[in-house]
Amino acid sequence: MARLLQVFGFLSVLFRGATLTFQSLTIGGIVFLNFVVRSSNLQSETVNHACLRWIRRAAIALALMQVAYILASALILMQSADITIGDVSGANFVLAGVLAIVSALTIAALAGAQSPKIYAAMLLPAALILLSSVMTSHAMARLEYRFPLAIVTAFHQGATAVWIGGLLYLLIAIPRSPDNSFARQMIARFSKLALISVAVLAAAGFTLGFAYVGSLHAVYGTSYGIMVATKTVLFGILLLLGALNFQIAGSPSGGSLIACLKRFGEAEIGIGISVILTAASLTSLPPAVDLITDRVSAQEIAARTAPHVPRLASPPLRDLPEDIYAAQVKSFDAGPLSSASFVPGQAGTRPNTPAEKSWSEYNHHWAGIVVLAIGLLSFLAQARHFPWARNWPLIFLGLAAFLFLRSDPETWPLGPNGFWVTLQDPEVLLHRIFVVLVIALAIFEWRVQTGRVATERARLIFPALVVVASALLLTHSHSLGNIKEEVLAELSHAPIAVLGIVAGWSRWLELRLPSQNKMRDRLAWLWPACLVLIGLLLLNYREM
Amino acid sequence: MRPRQSVLLVICLFAGTFFTAGRAVAHAILLESTPAANSSVVGPDIPIKLRFNVRIDATRSRITLVRPDASVQTLVISKSTSADILATQAQGLTPGEYRIRWQALASDGHITRGEIPFQAARP
Repeated sequence: MARLLQVFGFLSVLFRGATLTFQSLTIGGIVFLNFVVRSSNLQSETVNHACLRWIRRAAIALALMQVAYILASALILMQSADITIGDVSGANFVLAGVLAIVSALTIAALAGAQSPKIYAAMLLPAALILLSSVMTSHAMARLEYRFPLAIVTAFHQGATAVWIGGLLYLLIAIPRSPDNSFARQMIARFSKLALISVAVLAAAGFTLGFAYVGSLHAVYGTSYGIMVATKTVLFGILLLLGALNFQIAGSPSGGSLIACLKRFGEAEIGIGISVILTAASLTSLPPAVDLITDRVSAQEIAARTAPHVPRLASPPLRDLPEDIYAAQVKSFDAGPLSSASFVPGQAGTRPNTPAEKSWSEYNHHWAGIVVLAIGLLSFLAQARHFPWARNWPLIFLGLAAFLFLRSDPETWPLGPNGFWVTLQDPEVLLHRIFVVLVIALAIFEWRVQTGRVATERARLIFPALVVVASALLLTHSHSLGNIKEEVLAELSHAPIAVLGIVAGWSRWLELRLPSQNKMRDRLAWLWPACLVLIGLLLLNYREM
Repeated sequence: MRPRQSVLLVICLFAGTFFTAGRAVAHAILLESTPAANSSVVGPDIPIKLRFNVRIDATRSRITLVRPDASVQTLVISKSTSADILATQAQGLTPGEYRIRWQALASDGHITRGEIPFQAARP
């Protein structure tokens, strides 16, 4: 129980994100089956069965995630508030979770029957899943405009599911289509549905943004506002991909066009799910409109982001606190904290010392030099006149060693805290995951760039890992002991994450698009450009 | 699993790792409290009122009082007229350093907690 308490904040976002993802895939599949496949003039048993198989998988995964979420929250509540299981069972999150579990299992059972008669019957449990999600959204806890906001939230989440969830089923259905005409008919129907969904999603998103963020100052001055802005930028990228798909769908018939559409669709789903999961992490933050104090001003942002000389000399290790965790706990026990409330299990925080800030800046700046070098060398490698530049992925090994030693000086091998302590602090755990990702990335991409591996799957590992690392960065929590400092840190990391997502998916598309697609050449230059920009942003990172 | 299926699965799983670390910032914010943090009150009996930014499930929320001798007393939360308020009363306070420990279950299912240190003075 103690271990569960320590990672509870981490787990609650994890389960919420998984729930929203599988909810979108379940609802999106059911809508796709009813309004795209079923309404087509043509019918294909293969397509129907494939869709039903994936709906069933998504529904079972959703039920499992809900069970895990209810169990974790109920156990924490029973332990921390000393209440019985009977009392917990009446809580809103339990009722909502049970509703989702019953609905998801009903869908799984219906989808298992694989009969056309049940397609429409699945719409009701799909609507109940959406209702259960709204029951645990920000809207239900608001003091004002509770029900209007709940309705808008339902539209927002429903439209997301239809668009992003439905797109997965389009990609599943296209290769199973009996002929090109069938595929094009499905694509045309889905395009119309997606257009309506995007309009609803944008309108509902704007309304919710107005209600929960409220002002321009809150957009750049709070963590919630920055996350909403990041979500909006990713939504813009999605719209761009959607527009490309829409254009392709309207083009004359042809196999390569459908192949292009599938590849853009892959990127669209990936970014779309990333947006869904950003929304999940938003639920753990208080709405910006409620944070009246401790907002960052435009002047503070300008001062922090002004160009400066990188810090290339490290402060000595002895200047850092010997045991950062002990210092944090001591600070928590000692008295007033930087923020008024915490999730169960979270330790208190304290302001970082100047030495800690210098240490962090030094780390970011050297990482920036490495990423900048990688970006420039990958540019040279694209030019094809410098074959030695193709070894650029090996630079990542140096970055991994640097991150391992420097990112968390209080833990093994430099500090007194053992390796397993990393599991207790999400920030340290994230750094460790990054190190593993960077090593994997170096090895695979070096083999790909130097021609040692030619399979498509191996070539996709680099873009996939770049996307994962960038995505992780968006949920990167900075325990800086000060709400303003955390907001300023997020302001610098959010654009890096977005650039990373663009870099990863542009490389993915460069590899996956048919060779005759001219966009491949532009994409081949886009991802190195993103890496260069990431390097420059890291070089200008500051904590004071 | 067919190759194209596994590619789709890989996309979903990689995108899914987006959320593998959550922010530790809490959801419900304590907007106002009586007594205020680090304030001084005159006992022996004092009302305690906590106002949040969201609706709170009072039945499943807790308020405890940590006395100067470190003993902990769970206080009975009274029925409040407002959905965002947790109210109770502490009795028999003697001069010294106290802490109110609260844990709130918001209506959207998020659990948050915090502490309010205060001092009881002689009447």
